[in-house]
Amino acid sequence: MKILIIEDEPELAKSIAVYLREEGYSCDFAADYDEALEKIRACNYDCILLDIMLPGGNGLAIVEELKQLKKDAGTIIISAKNSLDDRIKGLHLGADDYISKPFYLSELSARIFSVIRRRQLGNVNIIEQNELKVDVLGKEVTIHDKPVLLTKKEFGLLLLLISNANRVLSKAALAEHISGAGVVDFDSYDHVYAHIKNLKKKLHDGGCGNYLRTIYGTGYKWEI
Amino acid sequence: MSKLLNYSLRKILICAGIVLVLSIPIYYFAISRLWQYEMDEHNVMLTTEAAREDSFLIIGAVTLLSVIFFIFLLGALIVMNRILSKKMWQPFYESLAEIRAFNLNQPHDIRFKKTGITEFDDLNTSLEKLLTANINIYNQQKEFADNASHELQTPLAVVQSKLDLLSQSEQLSDAQFQLIEEALLALSRVSRINKNLLLLTKIENSQFADKEQVNLSAALEELLSQLSFYFEEKELSLHLDITPGVMVEGNRILLEILLGNLLTNAVRHSSTPGEVHLSLHAGYISIKNSGKTPLLEEQLFKRFAITSSTTSGSGLGLALIKQISGRYGWKVEYKFESGFHVFRIGF
Repeated sequence: MKILIIEDEPELAKSIAVYLREEGYSCDFAADYDEALEKIRACNYDCILLDIMLPGGNGLAIVEELKQLKKDAGTIIISAKNSLDDRIKGLHLGADDYISKPFYLSELSARIFSVIRRRQLGNVNIIEQNELKVDVLGKEVTIHDKPVLLTKKEFGLLLLLISNANRVLSKAALAEHISGAGVVDFDSYDHVYAHIKNLKKKLHDGGCGNYLRTIYGTGYKWEI
Repeated sequence: MSKLLNYSLRKILICAGIVLVLSIPIYYFAISRLWQYEMDEHNVMLTTEAAREDSFLIIGAVTLLSVIFFIFLLGALIVMNRILSKKMWQPFYESLAEIRAFNLNQPHDIRFKKTGITEFDDLNTSLEKLLTANINIYNQQKEFADNASHELQTPLAVVQSKLDLLSQSEQLSDAQFQLIEEALLALSRVSRINKNLLLLTKIENSQFADKEQVNLSAALEELLSQLSFYFEEKELSLHLDITPGVMVEGNRILLEILLGNLLTNAVRHSSTPGEVHLSLHAGYISIKNSGKTPLLEEQLFKRFAITSSTTSGSGLGLALIKQISGRYGWKVEYKFESGFHVFRIGF
């Protein structure tokens, strides 16, 4: 899987690349508008991370350019603006997702995971791990072919954990994911524990192996 | 309160009245002396009876004339006053209207007309200077908040990503991971404060201009379902009294932020276990949550007024509520009533 990181802050781009390479993606960089255009014309990427405040031009124009080139790349907008207007405009232009700075690398990775799968058809959308089957698009979970009912938040958490398999997720990253991009700006970290406990219990009751582990006391890890 | 011109008019009228009243004996004295002199000249003798009659006649005539002139004077002064107040004070009233219409949140270019009267022109130039200085400072401050928050996002993102990577390193000890975790939690608080500051600035800059009819009841139910988890977790019993279909005109995003902040506030600051009463009817929303001590009302809606290390809020929630309500002219009230914090917004 090839990913283009269009971001003018080199340190951030580097962090993203380090994290994503560990997940098995190969990463390319573009630090300004022209370089970005050049790269998207020359290569085919599976996913493009796009900072819309770019030197040399508006990142939204790149989304339009991608559409014109008929490139089949998933696009995730990274913005320092966190403005709902921009989010709507970006998604309207054809971007697949929107994430505002600052974000957790695990969150970004989960978004990339979903965007890439959403663009492809067939069995890629179903993750299988022994007795556990997760339908990413249908949002369904089965264990030993028996459905397990998860709440929206629990499903989101499961997806975050699975898409960051074998990585350590901090409580802060999980809390951020749970409170999400909505208007409800909640900040108690105790609820992370409660959500994880519920999820663990449901998986365990369904007969799923113990893949979700607590690490270092407060971190979590999905083991494959 | 009386108008400035009426004040002077009254003084002038009293003065004119006194002068005319005082003039009566002087006129009488002068006329009777003149009369006496004329009669002496022509050797006319009057009986005492006739002389008394004459003097009564003179007094009567003089008083009548004085009263008639006083009435004339009164009329003339009132008419003059009207004309004067319209003409002379016109520039003053114009400037006053201009200042009244002025709103620091939506400053338009303030321009006072040239009046040609030194005092008014002086006043207007001073006002212009004062207002322009204020507008500039206000804009600079807004711009600063906006730029600072924007510029902070990227470095924050860099720090967060580096900590993220650090937490992935192999062979971390529990204590080391705790350190990273604590740093990340503090960092997420910083970014939340930053986001809310940006939001406040945007509302101030009127960036949420579009309005629509929003079904507040439905929006509230939706939020409650999102938050039900937190109510349960804090063992808060929720008592709802919601009229369905309450419509309010406003920006959907802002209204959702308003409701979200009211609810999260109630959850965050309730005692555990506690109670939250929520009522929404046409005209108002009120939310009550159990608490221990009343809050300082004048401090309550200020930015960062009641943040403490024990709450992890951004300290901007109530400021946002106030700002959004203010924008639509709604009144936010707080009171502490038999162990409950009560917030009420009248639409």
